[in-house]
Amino acid sequence: MNPSDSDAFRFKSATTDRRGERDLDDLLVHVARGDQEAFEAVYDRLVGPAYGVIRRVLRDPSQSEEVTQEVLLEVWRTAARFDPAMGGAATWVMTIAHRRAIDRVRSTTAAADREHKTAEFRTPHDEVAEAVEASLDRERVRRCLDGLTEVQRESITLAYYGGYSYRQVSDLLKVTLGAIKTRIRDGLIRMRDCLGVS
Amino acid sequence: MRLLGHDMHSLSGAYALDALEGGAERDRFTRHLNRCQSCAGEIRGFREVATAMAFAAAARTRQLPPEVRTHARPRRTRAWVPWVPWLSGAIATASIVVAVLFGFAQAHTQQELNQVRAENQAIALVLSAPQVRLLTHSTSKGGVATVVLAADRHQLVVTTNGLPALPAGKVYQLWLIGKTKIVSAGLLPASTSGQTPPVLASGVVKGDTLGLTVEPAPGSAQPTTKPILALPLPL
Repeated sequence: MNPSDSDAFRFKSATTDRRGERDLDDLLVHVARGDQEAFEAVYDRLVGPAYGVIRRVLRDPSQSEEVTQEVLLEVWRTAARFDPAMGGAATWVMTIAHRRAIDRVRSTTAAADREHKTAEFRTPHDEVAEAVEASLDRERVRRCLDGLTEVQRESITLAYYGGYSYRQVSDLLKVTLGAIKTRIRDGLIRMRDCLGVS
Repeated sequence: MRLLGHDMHSLSGAYALDALEGGAERDRFTRHLNRCQSCAGEIRGFREVATAMAFAAAARTRQLPPEVRTHARPRRTRAWVPWVPWLSGAIATASIVVAVLFGFAQAHTQQELNQVRAENQAIALVLSAPQVRLLTHSTSKGGVATVVLAADRHQLVVTTNGLPALPAGKVYQLWLIGKTKIVSAGLLPASTSGQTPPVLASGVVKGDTLGLTVEPAPGSAQPTTKPILALPLPL
C-alpha cells in the first residue's frame, strides 16, 4: 500500500518542490483575506506534516490531533501575519506547529502523560503503520542525518522530534551544555547544506 | 558579536528548534537577534531544515479542517439541525444521526466541539449528496454495518451497531480493498450502547470493497486477519 496514492493525504514537500512552495505562499495570502477554499487547500497540504511532527513530540495521538487543530485554526486566524519574505508558508506553519507542541509538552501535566507513552512510542509498528508518504523527504532527511556525527544527529533529533530543551539533551547525552549548543548549530548547518536549503 | 556575542550566537540552532527553555535565556537570545544581522538568515535556513524534518515525519490523520466559518462568525451550535429532518425518514441513517448527536454530547471543550462540528459537516455533505446509496450488511461476528455511499464524492460514511466488544489491545479497522491495493479507511471509534460513531472514508474508487477486520491496536498498515465484513461498493 502506498497511501500517497490517495488524494486525501497528498501534500507537497516544503523543500523539494519549489513551485509547490510558491503556490502555498499564494494560498496563505488568500487565507489572510478569509478565503475558505484556500484554507482547505493549505490544510490538505500541511495537516500531515503538522500532525506528524506534533505527534513525534507529544506521542499521544488524541492530544496531538487537538494541538494540530489549534495550530491550523491559528493559521486561519493569523495568516495576515505571514510574510513570504521571511520564509515559505510551509516553514511558517511548521514553526507554529512545533512551537505549540513544545508549549504543550512543557506544561507539566502533558509531560507526565508523555512519559507513559514512551513505550508505545518506541514500538516500530506505530511508526511504520502510521508514517505516511513523504518517502522522498524521509529519504533525504535520513541521508542527511546519517551524514552528521552521532552527537549532532542525536542532539537534533532529541531536540526537534523529542521536544527536549538543549539542557535536557545535554543531560540525556551526558555532554556539556556548551558542546550541545554547538553540535546542534553545526549539525543544522550541515543539514542545511545537505538538503540544499538556500 | 564575534567576541561578546559568540556564546549567545551559538544558541541559534537551539533557538530554531525551540530547544531554549522559556524565560531569561530566550529573552536574551531574542535581544541578540535584534542586533545580529546574520542571525535572521541563519535561523530561516535552520527552520527550513526543521520543516524538511516535519515533512519527513508526516503522518496520516483522519482529522478534517476545522470549521473556520464558525470561528470567524460564531453561529448557533445547533448547526446540524437543517439536515436532521431530511434524514429522519430512513431508520438506518437515523442511527447515524444518533451517533452524531452523541459526538456533540461527548465534546467537552470548544476544541472538541469544533472538531465534532467539522466532522459532522463533512459527514453531512456525504449524507446530502445528490446520489447516495444506503447499504447495510451484517458481519460474520454479528452486528450490522451501515454504509452511506456518495459515489460522486468518492466518499462514504460507516457506522455499526451490535458488533461484539473487543478485548483490550484490539481494534476494528476499516479497509478499502481495491484490485491492486488495500488502503486503511480508519479505525472504528469505541462504541457506546453498541453503536460506533460515524467514520468518514475518502478516496473510494470503482471496484473497491469495504472491509472490516480485527487488528492489534493501534491498527495495522495492511489487514492481518480475515475480514468479518466484505461489502462490494456499487460505484
